[in-house]
Amino acid sequence: MNPTTVFRLAGKDLYLLRLPLAVYAGAGALAVVLASIPDRSARSLGVTLAMNVFIAACFQLVIGNVLGERERKTLAFTLSLPVSPRELTAAKLLSSVSCYTLCGVFAAVALMSLAPAGLVAGAAHGGRGLLAHPLGWIPFLALVLGGFLVPFAIVLATAVVSESLGWTIAVSSSLIFVLGNGLIMFGPRLRFLGAYARNLGRGGPALPATLVVEVALLVCILAVTFWLQQRKRSFL
Amino acid sequence: MHPESPVRPPPALRLRGVTRRFATFDFGPVDLEIACGTTVGLLGVNGAGKSTLLRLLLGLLHADDGTVEVLGHRMPADAAAAKRDIAFVSEDMAPYGAATIGWHVGYVRGLVPVFDDAWARELLGRFALRPEQRVRGLSRGQTVRLLLLLALVRRPRLLLLDEPTTGLDPRVRREVRLELAALAREAGTTILFSSHLTEDVEEIASEVVILHEGRIARRASTALLLAEGPLDSVFLDTIAMPNPPMTIPRKACA
Repeated sequence: MNPTTVFRLAGKDLYLLRLPLAVYAGAGALAVVLASIPDRSARSLGVTLAMNVFIAACFQLVIGNVLGERERKTLAFTLSLPVSPRELTAAKLLSSVSCYTLCGVFAAVALMSLAPAGLVAGAAHGGRGLLAHPLGWIPFLALVLGGFLVPFAIVLATAVVSESLGWTIAVSSSLIFVLGNGLIMFGPRLRFLGAYARNLGRGGPALPATLVVEVALLVCILAVTFWLQQRKRSFL
Repeated sequence: MHPESPVRPPPALRLRGVTRRFATFDFGPVDLEIACGTTVGLLGVNGAGKSTLLRLLLGLLHADDGTVEVLGHRMPADAAAAKRDIAFVSEDMAPYGAATIGWHVGYVRGLVPVFDDAWARELLGRFALRPEQRVRGLSRGQTVRLLLLLALVRRPRLLLLDEPTTGLDPRVRREVRLELAALAREAGTTILFSSHLTEDVEEIASEVVILHEGRIARRASTALLLAEGPLDSVFLDTIAMPNPPMTIPRKACA
């Protein structure tokens, strides 16, 4: 596998995605502004907008950048060049994950400063002064971003491996409605979740442990995707 | 080897006992060898296996059995290396709509080891395309010309074309045929192109391979087939009653 080819292919994707990337980053920045307004409705709108950025960017990237290449017949063009399917897969994973991260940074800031208010306050009480000490809030930002990157990686893997819009929508809607709503409905009843959240808020051992789990899950999902792609015997 | 026997150059492509099974269609077994510098037309009705054959040659499809060798490379293992010298244009292929022609030329330049900018400019002139043109606004004929340009700009040793003239008006089809004939003549490029339009094959191919139900029904020189009658009739007679494949003399590599 030639890393230069992988970076060139990923660069091509980022170039073609520059407009949605700018729109989602802008929407994320707007969510941060709304989040900073000391008004309940504005804060609520900020949270909704930030959540929307994560969900919409996920669909836009998976449908446009991965599945869309086949539908628009541009995949055949790129595969006609001196590019191996392995390099193409690596480039797709790289461009999609990096683009999602770039789209989601502002949205994650908005979510971090709003929804988990206890988390922010807890960190501040722990003497970390969120704004005064960048290292104090960066791990929390990574935590929120990772919380969205893991399900995104699952949806991305489904799209890359199945090459099917149907399966991609089935998996993503399951993650949003079944897992997401399940967590909202049943989460408060689970005692250990409360203790876990308080530990996170204090910057206790739960914070690095969660970050490690998120990174490990992300790496595992991408590695499995890559391995499954390797086993394919048809690429067009 | 006998001292007086001529040294046979390696063929541009060689398939030996290649099969590929699909849910509703079995391709092969196919044995095919094409010498360097020849222009071969691949004739067959829809679903005959033309696209399957081209995708096997490009390494985009793995054979169940048999071996595929292209320009001395084993496919699909050496596909990325082989594709430095292979270009492929298909009717099922499109450039990126949001980008310009100039961007596409730059994109190809970034992915190939050797690139001749002067040749790229010359081709842009020959195909009447401007670098600043956005792909989304191109006609079907201009899009096909752009795809051919992006293939030819790499100076490939082997050009695989999968029904490139489908959907084009007669004037553009003729232009494309003339360009391909010129390329074969000037650069000695080996061309394998599939079509169900016998007119295209008749004009530029020196040999014809007729595929039917995933197998080679007949292989012969264009002149020989034309001596039997109009190519349309010969083609239809062949797929109705397949004849054994013919052996024809191999051309020497340039």
